[in-house]
Amino acid sequence: MEALGTARVALVVAFTLLGLFFSFVSMTGVLRLPDVYSRAHTASQADTLGAGFGLAAVALAIGWEAAGVKSVLLLFFIFVTNPTAAHAIARAAFEEGTVPWTEGDERR
Amino acid sequence: MADTDAGSDTADGEPTGDETDDAGPGDPSGLGDGPGRESPSAPTGGLVVPVEPTPTLRQTVAYAIEAAVEDGFSTVHLVEIASWRDGDPGAEDRAASAERVLERAEAWADSDLDDLDGERPPVTVTTELIGGDEYLFGPDDYVRVLAAYAAEHGADAVLLDPEYSPVGNTTLLQPLEFALSNTSLAVETAPVTRPTRRERLRSEATGKRSVAMFGFSLAFYLILGDPFYWFDWVTGIATAAIVSITLSRVSIDVEPAIPRTPMRVVRGIIYVPVLLFEIVKANVEVARVILDPRLPIEPTMNRMRVIVGSGLPLMTLANSITLTPGTLTVRARDSDLYVHSLIPSARDGLFDGSLERWTRFVYYGRASARLPTPRERDDCAILQGPDATEELPIAAADGGVEGSVGDGDSQADPGEEDREDREPTEVTDG
Repeated sequence: MEALGTARVALVVAFTLLGLFFSFVSMTGVLRLPDVYSRAHTASQADTLGAGFGLAAVALAIGWEAAGVKSVLLLFFIFVTNPTAAHAIARAAFEEGTVPWTEGDERR
Repeated sequence: MADTDAGSDTADGEPTGDETDDAGPGDPSGLGDGPGRESPSAPTGGLVVPVEPTPTLRQTVAYAIEAAVEDGFSTVHLVEIASWRDGDPGAEDRAASAERVLERAEAWADSDLDDLDGERPPVTVTTELIGGDEYLFGPDDYVRVLAAYAAEHGADAVLLDPEYSPVGNTTLLQPLEFALSNTSLAVETAPVTRPTRRERLRSEATGKRSVAMFGFSLAFYLILGDPFYWFDWVTGIATAAIVSITLSRVSIDVEPAIPRTPMRVVRGIIYVPVLLFEIVKANVEVARVILDPRLPIEPTMNRMRVIVGSGLPLMTLANSITLTPGTLTVRARDSDLYVHSLIPSARDGLFDGSLERWTRFVYYGRASARLPTPRERDDCAILQGPDATEELPIAAADGGVEGSVGDGDSQADPGEEDREDREPTEVTDG
């Protein structure tokens, strides 16, 4: 670990914690939010910033090597596929005729 | 069906001749059958031919002239429907090349008329470029533009080139024919011999698309592998060749062009940090809402009409909206995006249209990014809640679908949502 340097270790830890935080928020959201559409919002959050900060921490820890470059690529593919998947789920719900939850409805 | 429609249309707006003689009994085309086709000496109506630079355009024009002479159409309208929007960068070039295609088609039509035996028949040929004032998405849009043109010029029939495909490489012929069958226009596809499918695949796969695809796949392969190891080059070239042969037509729908494509990539790279910043900002806002014990959400469905081209630009915009927490693209119907928003601030951000402007920047450059926000254009609507200005498009269809999978009750009434609430297994039986 001494090869990394203190500042870098601090950054890696900070990114990991941030990633954990956003994954936690996302999980909370999936449990608390009322319907499929609003849950899809927060489920995509885990991918964008949760996995985003996690992979940033990995890239930083590994450094400018093949594996580090690959983790950046992974991030890129997550950013392309995640909204596509979220859209597919929401669209399926919409086609099924699921009416989005609004204020005053009960939780489903 | 086309017969009666064409006839009634003619009766409405066109000076019809007397119906004494029914010329052209051996009419091979079936075009303009019925009362619309009295005799060559009393021609009525017009024949609209959508034009694109296809391999079969020459034959289609020839057939159009033949059909016009035999069925007594007074005018052959050669029209090119613009798949771009005036004001886009490059629109002038595309309009100019479209005009050249039209001129050529008109020249062909003229020479065909002159080549006929005997006197030159009283058929006039006109050309026009239409539809440049908006983005056209699906076949419905093309048919709407065509029908408007036909109504304006008193034309009552459409002749389609079998190779006609105004949007990239996807064939639009069948959807177009279907959409046209809902109008009062008579429709026919020119019976010209088209090149076989196999030839088309080969010829198009050798274009710039496959070169671009090859380069991209090879670069990606070498990033994953080791660019300094000869064996990775060999396998990489083989893999990239297979990928470019099989997928270049599927993955790339617009021919890459030298100044445009690299510029788009560069502007796309500029867009990445902007998007990341938006994502972080929205994430923090949504996180605050979710962790708030009162859970102060106000979700609504919204509709926004966006001004970006179909295909890749629309996908970029829709995915950017989804990536930003708080907004989720649910459905894209032509240029209408149905977007679900979790909190009002996310909805306001959406209606301010910053992502739309950035998408236009990436694809069309800086000048095109200056446009009024969707709110100023009045292109957005809230579909739910107290501020709703429009009906939710699924509310009506909803009852039927749910009822058919549910417990057999008729659920067409608004009380349906209560019932769903009481039944927590709604998702699993649906």
